Amino acid sequence: MTLSRILYGCLTLIACLGLLTGCWDRKEMDDLALVMASGLDLADDNQIEATLQIALPTGIPSSLQSGGKATKPVLVISAKGKDGLDALGKLQQQLSRRINLGHRGIVVVGEKYARHGFDQILDTLMRSPESRYNSYMLTAYGTTAKKILNASYQMEIIPAIGINKLQYEDFSLSVKMDKFVDALASFGKSPVSGAIRIIKQSSGEQTFIIDKAAVYQRNKLVGFLSGTDLKAYRLMTGNIDGMRLTTQMEPPQNQYHGTITIHLMKAKPKIRTRIKNGKPEVSVSFKAAGRIISNDTSLDMSKVIPLVEKKFSEDIKKEIASTISHTQKKFKSDIFSFGNQIHIEHPYAWKTIKDHWIELYPKVPVQVKTEFRIERVGRTQAPAHQQKK
Amino acid sequence: MKVTGMQVFWMIFIMDLGMTLIMTLTPSLQAAKQDVWISILVAGCIILLATVLVTNASLLHPDQNLIQLSQTVLGKWIGKVVIVIYLVQWYTILPIVLRQFIDVIHTMILPATPKAAVMIIMLLLIVYATYSGGIVSIARCSEVLGPIIILMVILALVASLNNADWKYLLPVFVDSGMMGVINGALPPASYLGHSVEYLMLASFLYQPRKGAPYAYWGVIAATFLVLIAMLMATVTMGTNLAPKMWYPFFEMSRKISLFGFIENFDPLTIVIWVASVFIKLAIYLFITSYGTAQFLKIKNWRTMIFFIAPVVMAFAYFPRNVSEATANYLLNYWVPYALPINMIGLPLLLLIVGKIRMGNT
Repeated sequence: MTLSRILYGCLTLIACLGLLTGCWDRKEMDDLALVMASGLDLADDNQIEATLQIALPTGIPSSLQSGGKATKPVLVISAKGKDGLDALGKLQQQLSRRINLGHRGIVVVGEKYARHGFDQILDTLMRSPESRYNSYMLTAYGTTAKKILNASYQMEIIPAIGINKLQYEDFSLSVKMDKFVDALASFGKSPVSGAIRIIKQSSGEQTFIIDKAAVYQRNKLVGFLSGTDLKAYRLMTGNIDGMRLTTQMEPPQNQYHGTITIHLMKAKPKIRTRIKNGKPEVSVSFKAAGRIISNDTSLDMSKVIPLVEKKFSEDIKKEIASTISHTQKKFKSDIFSFGNQIHIEHPYAWKTIKDHWIELYPKVPVQVKTEFRIERVGRTQAPAHQQKK
Repeated sequence: MKVTGMQVFWMIFIMDLGMTLIMTLTPSLQAAKQDVWISILVAGCIILLATVLVTNASLLHPDQNLIQLSQTVLGKWIGKVVIVIYLVQWYTILPIVLRQFIDVIHTMILPATPKAAVMIIMLLLIVYATYSGGIVSIARCSEVLGPIIILMVILALVASLNNADWKYLLPVFVDSGMMGVINGALPPASYLGHSVEYLMLASFLYQPRKGAPYAYWGVIAATFLVLIAMLMATVTMGTNLAPKMWYPFFEMSRKISLFGFIENFDPLTIVIWVASVFIKLAIYLFITSYGTAQFLKIKNWRTMIFFIAPVVMAFAYFPRNVSEATANYLLNYWVPYALPINMIGLPLLLLIVGKIRMGNT
């Protein structure tokens, strides 16, 4: 009995050893083409052009060398096809290594394709077992994804890693794929994504900049938010990491520009909705706090805090209100997810307005209330320099 | 072959937890949307009720298992019919669980590996566990694996906390309504209902009369973990995306991203999955072999294993695709038949008839 059991046990173990290796899905590191970023464009003949930025084995930074190198560290290839995967198949034919999307951190969509509207690439993004939700979604501003991915970047060896870090630090707006698709699938929210473009420095070097947000309505790009609009949008999402606001406190004089800059420390947007005679109304109340980091006026900061607070509060109110009216009039796209808030606060009314929310949104009256508090004024009170009379 | 109360607790807990967590989330989400947590509470209550029935039924003759019990209580012929109903459940759940196991492995990690390779490993493993010690070795395995499974579930949940957006839970109740909540409760209830197997396990207890609390706590613990896990899956994946996915709990673990360097946590959930499927299949293989042997009056129940294992393997090939294996079986057999008949109706019948007979004698 015992002998047979030992024998039996050994047999089972050996069989498991043979089968457990999972050799059918074996992928060796040096057989993989690691895609760092992918881009999709609409070609002239209505085909989809896919671009991949693949890290070359020599380009992957090791612990020994982490500075720039002379050889090009990435391979950028493009091909056209009926859809993204068709193009990917054509790309594979040029590659001696198997395309692996597991490390893709960036998905760029060309502006033309975005304006045309894209659905099916999103499906591919979610369906494939390799795909990760943690990739960032970006829209190319005024250019194609192909050009973005072909641009070089000085700061990092692999440009895609540069874009990824720009997004990770969230200096302007970063949207991950799953949030994008979630907004797309939702009735009461419109998707946004960061918008990337290439700028030339005076030295002739290229670099990326992500200083705009692409606004979508359903699956179509309708426009971009930039400057104060983007700032206001970030304020409304409570994403204020490292944000500074400058206001014109006094009219500019000889010695002073009359501006005060604050560093935002807290921002608390609150959206309330009401249904009045069957029509939705939105009121936004926004509370923020900050500290003064620069004072280019003649004022003594310890004495005029309430004044400065009032000025900033008015500024912010104006910016938010104008951004909201932009999204209503220009884009007709509910990027602030007011719809979701109605859904939460008035679920019964939402059932009737859900389906035509997009048409309704531009007409919804929005009230904005702001409150600003200055917590600290920095290390000095009055400006240190002498006032010349 | 004797098991302790704690072991019964772990066995019921693992049988209930793993599969419910991964298999039933999507149908519930589709029906109840953000109110899926209410559905789980309802499901937990239904199953606790069923467990009360089951444990009381087993108290009628604590030394007998389901096969003997139903024949003693209901008489030879009706008893046999009842046993056949349960045998249908056991013989269908085995290949389906095996198939679902492979589907998950295929969809999530090993898309190119042939089905047979994955199946054979699992079958060998459960045959070995069942053959070597019967219920005792399975019980000890679950005592070891149970805490690991709990740890993994909690790890996956805690690591997902920073992805949570609690607004997804609002508005409560209005969107789905009573029908949505009830419909959403049935799939998890039917999978939590594996506690009905207590009828087969009870007679192996050292003290069969004192086994009931362990079964209750097994169900309660599993329901609680499923509740939290489903809640987390809802708030991380969102009510727009989660209902469209096959395995939202896996997807949740894929989203985990901590401090910029801990990413792609799906191996964690694979551990939960493989461990709980192993225990579940092993218990069912044991119950099926033991029950069939007793039913057909075969002396050595172990010989049955070698008939059943190949049959299970062959049947696992029957479903043509993933939706037949996962959705069709669940919604066409398990929810409309197994839940009301096997888990509630028949234990109730046993209990009532048994009580009346006891009163008469």
